[in-house]
Amino acid sequence: MKKILVEHLKYRYPQAAELALNDISFEAEEGEKIGVIGRNGAGKSTLCQALTGLVPHFYKGAYGGRVIVDGTEVLSSSISEIVLKVGIVFQNPFTQVTGAKETVYDEVAFGLENLGLPRGEISSRVDAALELLRIYRFKDQAPFSLSGGQTQRMAIAGIIAMRPRIIVLDEPTSQLDPQGSEEVYQALDDLSDQGLTIVLTEHKIEKIAQYCDKILVLQDGRSVAFDTPARLFSAEDSDAWGIRPPVYTSVCRKLLRPPTGVYPVTLSEAGEALANWEAST
Amino acid sequence: MSKKSVWSVKLSTASLVLIPAAVGVNYIGKLFAQLLKLPLWLDSIGTVLASMLAGPIIGALAGLINNIIYGFMDPVSFVYGITSVAIGVVVGLMARIGFLENWVKAGIIAFAVIFTSTVVSTPINIIFWEGQTGNIWGDAVYAGVLNITNTVWLASFLDELIVDLPDKILTVLIAYGIYRGLPKNLLQLYRADSEIEELK
Amino acid sequence: MKQLTLYVDKQSFVHAVDPITKLFYVAFAILTSMLVPTAYAGVICALLSLSLLCLAKVIKNASPVFLFIGFVLFTVVVIQGLFGVNNQTEAFRLSGLIFYREGLITGAKIILRVVNIVSAFLILTLTTKASDLVEDLVRAGLSPRIGYVITSVFQIIPQMISSADIIMDAQRSRGMETEGGLMVRMKAFIPLIGPVVLDSFMSTKERAMALEARAFSAPNKKTFLRERPAYTYAAKLRGAFVVLTLAALIWRLAA
Repeated sequence: MKKILVEHLKYRYPQAAELALNDISFEAEEGEKIGVIGRNGAGKSTLCQALTGLVPHFYKGAYGGRVIVDGTEVLSSSISEIVLKVGIVFQNPFTQVTGAKETVYDEVAFGLENLGLPRGEISSRVDAALELLRIYRFKDQAPFSLSGGQTQRMAIAGIIAMRPRIIVLDEPTSQLDPQGSEEVYQALDDLSDQGLTIVLTEHKIEKIAQYCDKILVLQDGRSVAFDTPARLFSAEDSDAWGIRPPVYTSVCRKLLRPPTGVYPVTLSEAGEALANWEAST
Repeated sequence: MSKKSVWSVKLSTASLVLIPAAVGVNYIGKLFAQLLKLPLWLDSIGTVLASMLAGPIIGALAGLINNIIYGFMDPVSFVYGITSVAIGVVVGLMARIGFLENWVKAGIIAFAVIFTSTVVSTPINIIFWEGQTGNIWGDAVYAGVLNITNTVWLASFLDELIVDLPDKILTVLIAYGIYRGLPKNLLQLYRADSEIEELK
Repeated sequence: MKQLTLYVDKQSFVHAVDPITKLFYVAFAILTSMLVPTAYAGVICALLSLSLLCLAKVIKNASPVFLFIGFVLFTVVVIQGLFGVNNQTEAFRLSGLIFYREGLITGAKIILRVVNIVSAFLILTLTTKASDLVEDLVRAGLSPRIGYVITSVFQIIPQMISSADIIMDAQRSRGMETEGGLMVRMKAFIPLIGPVVLDSFMSTKERAMALEARAFSAPNKKTFLRERPAYTYAAKLRGAFVVLTLAALIWRLAA
């Protein structure tokens, strides 16, 4: 079964003239890591919100096509049903702090209280989420006392504790310092080891090329490409999407002509390819 | 616009989270006014803005919760909750019937707020403080009027009015200026009448 | 972080009483002092509240509040003493100003009323954690969404205060004048408040979405993470406050 199935998704915000999403289709298998890239305003955040039911239920507006996440159709379900299947993490770590809880532990438990789970279940889930995100040692601290990276991990823990099988992260590191970004990426690796299906938008193209199994490119609300990073950035027309390929790919394009037509996209791949090239010359 | 949509209750999450923002802005407004030693309160900008955005019910709730929270710091504030609620309702209603179109209409909101605030606060002032407001300028007027006319309600009314007049005009105009600066897609979130349309 | 409430974390038998029973007390103390048609009732209620504040070891923390209202009350007594509506009998003269007996009595009554109300509320606010009060109210039937709104304010305001400090410093370093004539100070207000308001209202959208993502609107009954200690005498005390208030009402009606 596909974990995510998006078919001909169209969406227009209320009172807007243009479609924010125009005929988007893609799918993801269980455990896949999907990157979404595109210029500002291409529809990345809107797509993230469409996967979690915030589009259309939070915004209203005009909607067409269908989105099915872990077997649940988004349009015909309420947000509180959908969050059991797919969780979302936003850019700003601090707006995600509920502000109603005095400790990190209670903050992570917020969603589980809302779901009405029994206390024993809540405490075991919260402990597990705090361990997984490596913030257990902060559990008795005030939520607003944490750093940006720690706060973002607390936000992820609050989502993970609800045990969705898919997690969507909308530029989770864009407001963090390098240290905080690294912490969040490490957390993503841990989530991936748990077999979660991950959808990630990110401005740092190198990160997304290294991290994701497949990349979806959006341009003006349309999907213009959906492929593995290597094939995607090796394509001749990739520049036309307004996306700069990873710096490793650009360098290799200048130097190499690989027989497969596929260029390296990560630092380690590039290192390997350049070593081979040096050996052959 | 139908009567129903004016009063429509939409305690959506989007409108509920306006309330903490409104109470916070009220608090910071008061803080800055004190820091700058302004002879004004400027402590209801948030309530007025939340009412403009989300209508009378959220406006009333923002006013009520504001004074409950202030009450935890200064118990006298609990009783003036009624005034805050009234301001929220009046601004919210006027916003829903089209008084946010331009600056002139926003000025009319300001005068409606002054009227409401004075009419509601005066009886509270009389019950509580025999009609005074605790503001130096207002109470000077009170003493003068009381000395000449010997009428508590008139002295008290003028006391409150002289305090409210500049304060509420500035409050409403600042809130309206910020309202105009907010992005359209944010304003859209609080419309109670929108439904999901189907796209082919 | 600056604390926003007056709550003082101490151990006392007043602290131990549950928040809702304290609400009953506040209502009882205020209503009784207003209903019973003799000034003694007010004196007794005020003394009761003040001694409870002493026994709860928080009277010191109450003094700034009393000092603040004391100033306003002082002006009330002066103005009533000088210009009160019923003033007839001269009480004394002070550097040429005549103070009247009737006005001074009115002033004294106002002081009693205000001290009564304020000290009753102070018992609640000085000995009760706001979040405990809200949680108990939610358990008693208050909408949990409204409960969330109230609790979150207590944390969001200190956050806003720290960002307000940053804005203040930034604007000052850009050469904004915050001292001088009234117009100069008025002009400074808008560049200070503007960014705070925009920032806090713009971030409400993401906060609302983040709450939705945490099942904030789930229709089921919510779990309370912790048991709240049951207060043994809650029912008896609440009952007593209601009976006493009713007795005051009957006294008023009969008199």
